[in-house]
Amino acid sequence: MQKERQHPAFYALLFALIFMSVGPIFLMFVNSFKLDVDIIGGTTGLLFLPTISNYETALCDILWYEPDHLDFCSLKFGGAFINSLIIALISTLLTLIIGCMAAYALVRFRFMGRDSASLTTLMVRMVPPAVLLVPVFGLWNNEFCIGKETWVGSFIRDTLGGRGDVCLAGTHSGIILIYIAMNLPFVIWILQSFIVQVPRSLEEAAKVDGAGPFQVFFQIVVPLIQPGLAAAAIFTFRIAWNEYLLASALSDRNTKTVPILIVNNMSEFNVEWGVIMATGMLLAIPPIIFTLFASRQIITGMTAGAVKG
Amino acid sequence: MPEIRLEKLVKRYGDVQVLHGIDLDMAENEFTVLVGPSGCGKSTTLRMVAGLESVTEGEIFIGGSPVSHLDPKDRGLAMVFQDYALYPHMDVARNISFALRLQKRPKEEIQAKVREVAEIVGLSEFLHRKPGALSGGQRQRVAMARALAKDSDIFLFDEPLSNLDAKLRGQMRAELAIMRQSVQKNMIYVTHDQIEAMTLADRIVVMHGGYIQQQGPPEELFKQPANKFVAGFLGSPPMNFMDVDLQEEGGIVVARGDGFGIAIPAEISNQIGKNSGKITLGIRPSDLNYDPNAAEDRALDLQVIVSEYIGAQSVLLCSCGSTNVTVELKSETPIALGETLRFAVRTEGIHLFDRATESAL
Repeated sequence: MQKERQHPAFYALLFALIFMSVGPIFLMFVNSFKLDVDIIGGTTGLLFLPTISNYETALCDILWYEPDHLDFCSLKFGGAFINSLIIALISTLLTLIIGCMAAYALVRFRFMGRDSASLTTLMVRMVPPAVLLVPVFGLWNNEFCIGKETWVGSFIRDTLGGRGDVCLAGTHSGIILIYIAMNLPFVIWILQSFIVQVPRSLEEAAKVDGAGPFQVFFQIVVPLIQPGLAAAAIFTFRIAWNEYLLASALSDRNTKTVPILIVNNMSEFNVEWGVIMATGMLLAIPPIIFTLFASRQIITGMTAGAVKG
Repeated sequence: MPEIRLEKLVKRYGDVQVLHGIDLDMAENEFTVLVGPSGCGKSTTLRMVAGLESVTEGEIFIGGSPVSHLDPKDRGLAMVFQDYALYPHMDVARNISFALRLQKRPKEEIQAKVREVAEIVGLSEFLHRKPGALSGGQRQRVAMARALAKDSDIFLFDEPLSNLDAKLRGQMRAELAIMRQSVQKNMIYVTHDQIEAMTLADRIVVMHGGYIQQQGPPEELFKQPANKFVAGFLGSPPMNFMDVDLQEEGGIVVARGDGFGIAIPAEISNQIGKNSGKITLGIRPSDLNYDPNAAEDRALDLQVIVSEYIGAQSVLLCSCGSTNVTVELKSETPIALGETLRFAVRTEGIHLFDRATESAL
């Protein structure tokens, strides 16, 4: 019996792939502990005195002490981080709820225009977000507004402050809405394939057992498409968390998200590489945690044992 | 335990009509078996009773009141599905108690009921397993227990045993028959297996092509089939059919076919009257006995083509002129392939069918 051995080139290729994928992250990690001088100097490589000053600068608005090297905390990372979390989590949650119901309807119900609805869903997916930017910006700023003279508008202005009409632009809701619209087609599309796999007789059995349509959906179908929901959640959360273009146009000072904050660190005169690297590292943490949590729900063979195959 | 009545039940999918006016009365506590080949409409009929298929025309009455407009949950019935349809994300106990939990029964009552039902079907040790960790037979029991727990008056079975292997099927069939004695409920059972139908049923309903061919107790259908289809469907090995001419020869009516002539007893020939001519003669293999000394007008001379050894009995496929005839024979009888043997026909085993309409004469 001969032991199987891989060709050395195989390992070389493997190493190259690992280097390409992990390299940039490693570089970012290392540089986030360097002073800007060290980063731009480029002479020292891995030999440097690590400092956490970049992280201090990035987190200055939520630190309990005032870092020595800062006179004024200009970067509001903490606020942006919370904005990102609110927007990403709520848009993911709403996308999943609407998406799984829509997918269920498209798969199981016979109604007029079902096929065209299904096809349109997929076609909307093809529209690049950049195309949406200008019309959405106009609509959010000028059309979807509540006049400040109206009862609701004046109530909002009185309690929350601010000037002008109450518009969708610059609010969390405005960004959440557009993210839902952007992610929904994909979620519907991916969940359809999971719902198709739920045996119809399970739903029939539940009906005979006395379940109404909503009980069938929430007690039988939703638990069974959990892997699909998890996959869709990972995808949706990642897009919402990383999105830059639409958020840059639709957010204001108080609602901006982390990707926008990072780019704001680049100015005409100075690029604070160390801080950018540090915020980049911090930005990467929530999606990793979210993915680890969500992927645990992806259990293969959920429907095993339901019906005789 | 209400009686169920189907009145002129019609089902159409678009232009295709699959049920042509089914009329059926099922008495209280009766075990009714709908049997027929695939696509005969038996499952559709059951699903219409369950409320899983809409009724195109006609009406279903349960306990005297029409139900065809009701949702499945409002019809008060329990159903066992062909593919079990167990909820894979719930353990056995939760599967069994699903209906009770939906009814918001008190917790103690649900637990007691689950234990009681699990005891009946022999699942007490498996209450906390998921269906995926059970064998086929155990899953079948869970499906049965789930239906039992519901306490409904009507039980529907949609080919519940067809997914089990042959040995397990026999075992579950026996258990079902035992359960049947203790559980007094209205049961409707759909199967394509005529053995299941014969052993379990109080009343068999044979369906074919969307029509009811015949209904009644198993013995009646077996002994007096209404037409050629019912005769050929019930009984294993199936009935032999031969084309014959009825001729009167010296005061006796003789069914003359290719290479044989069998005297028809006077009581039968008197019944069918004088409409002699071309008809179909049906004889079950069990009504043909190996008897070398039988009289020629009471016997068939068969040439053995194939012998299928199945233990104590062998099934012989023989030729009789141009038609093939199946007979059963004790395996120890010494025979050789190609040999011609004489089989006596039991007179009560003679069935005559009209060749055009295929109905019994």
